[in-house]
Amino acid sequence: MRVVGSLYMAFCALLLALPIAVVCGAALNGGRSMFFPPRDPTLARFGEFFVSEPVWTQALGNSVIVAVGAASLAVLLAWPLAYLLWSTGSKLSRTLAALGSMPFAVPPIVFGVGLGFFWSFLGGLGALWAGVVSHAVLLMALPMVTISIGLQSIDRAHLDAAATMGATESVTFRTVILPQTIPYTISGFFFVLVLSFNEFIVMFFVSASGYATVTLQIFNSLRNGYTPTMAVAAITFIAVSVLVFSAVARWGDLPRLMGADQSNS
Amino acid sequence: MTVAEHIETGPETARAAKPLSAVRLLSWALTAVIVTLCVVPFLLVFVISFGRKIEGAAWVWDFTLANYQRFFVGALWPDDVTFLYLQQLGFSFWYAVIASLLAVLTALPFTLLLSRLSRRAQAAWLVFILSSLSLSEVFIVMGWDILLSNNSGLPALFKSTGLTQWLKDTGWFQVLRDWGLASPRNVKFKTSQFATILTMSYLVWPYAVILLYPALSRLDRSQSEAARTMGAGGWCVARTVILPAIRLPLFGTTLLLFVFLLGTYVAVTVFAAPAQHSTAVAIYSNIRGANLNAPFGAAQAVILLMSAGVCLALGHRINTWAEAR
Repeated sequence: MRVVGSLYMAFCALLLALPIAVVCGAALNGGRSMFFPPRDPTLARFGEFFVSEPVWTQALGNSVIVAVGAASLAVLLAWPLAYLLWSTGSKLSRTLAALGSMPFAVPPIVFGVGLGFFWSFLGGLGALWAGVVSHAVLLMALPMVTISIGLQSIDRAHLDAAATMGATESVTFRTVILPQTIPYTISGFFFVLVLSFNEFIVMFFVSASGYATVTLQIFNSLRNGYTPTMAVAAITFIAVSVLVFSAVARWGDLPRLMGADQSNS
Repeated sequence: MTVAEHIETGPETARAAKPLSAVRLLSWALTAVIVTLCVVPFLLVFVISFGRKIEGAAWVWDFTLANYQRFFVGALWPDDVTFLYLQQLGFSFWYAVIASLLAVLTALPFTLLLSRLSRRAQAAWLVFILSSLSLSEVFIVMGWDILLSNNSGLPALFKSTGLTQWLKDTGWFQVLRDWGLASPRNVKFKTSQFATILTMSYLVWPYAVILLYPALSRLDRSQSEAARTMGAGGWCVARTVILPAIRLPLFGTTLLLFVFLLGTYVAVTVFAAPAQHSTAVAIYSNIRGANLNAPFGAAQAVILLMSAGVCLALGHRINTWAEAR
């Protein structure tokens, strides 16, 4: 039974890794077209992606700007929401939290269409800042969840102790609440960072071909056939994801963030 | 005593007055931001879906049901009826249902096994799962496209290893041809529903694991062990102890993945034959693509959203009904 179980897990891992492995292998091709296994292996494509081809370096720059901007903004939006929800638990705060997670819950194409209209009225269609705001709103639900988990993990006894010793609310916030929730805030930040980096469909609608992120650029090149440079992009993105989630797992409690029971540690 | 009271009430009143207004201010600001950014875009889609396209130009505000009529019975109704758009919605549903079921059913045993590993091993697996979860749709489609395309990938592998010949000899090749998975010469996975559903299922598989994980890792293991002590076999335990306990998250996960998959765009454009494209593809071609009919695209988006909502509501209904029995 145990052997069958391990075999099944290995099989799933293999299937999960298969397309990723194929893409990674294809990045080593020397020629202009994709072969697997790679022919005439070289690392020249990495240089093209990061340094020499402006199409890709610009797209990568845009991706980074959007991801970092969106992650910061999403955390800034999610913090007061989560705090209001935790400290008051009022009907208003619950409604706001529900509305705030709505963009993430519905099929993304619908929100993308809506944002397309929204920005065309506000004049932000095709502007990078509108892309940043769009991703922040779309993914705000993630830091809201992680920060809420962090706030719930605060021992109420600490708050009572602080209040007994005469700490004002702002002092309590600074000395008790903030330090204990920082790991969860950072996790939320990174979740948005990675998902924004990889998001396609909403960006597709709000960019209106005004600029391209890496995922958009890849989709645009899809019709002209693949080039190994695209595979380098894929490797980069996978590497970023693995690094970020490893960091979250290393410095935060990933199983708990994912909702595992605390007791079976 | 009076001094102590004085000290106590001093900051108390000050605190009561100040944070209250601060909290209220915060609430107002947040409400404004959330309504503007999260609600207005959806309202715009809804309102524009009643708009009217002007030939050779953009569109104007209006209140007409023509877009909806066109969706259900075609633009020329009642002289001519076409169910093209309904059929596209049907494909959206078909792909999403099969792919989400496939993902949940295969992810369930995996997640169960995962939740029994050590904490460290779980964290390592979660890193792997999350990395593949966050991987962009375009990369996943690219990977499967290379794997399934006719010149490289699996068909070439089939041919060079003689598997194609073996299939021909045993008669399975004809079966594959009947399913549309083979050309006269070799197996062919592009374009096919098989490739579409496979990729979509792959797309949400990590989501299925992540969504099932909390429920499965909180399963009371002593119950399964008690059942085992009393002589129940592994399958019997799974059916009578584990399954009833996770029925709710299992159902909820399938529903969520289904709703998510209703809007899949990249996988369908690449892997499905043009005649089998879904509503999401039609939405794009109306809003940004060749057709440029924003109101009709908006109407399709509204219908897609409504169908998702109806499915969620129905699911909730079935659940409470099953719970009550």
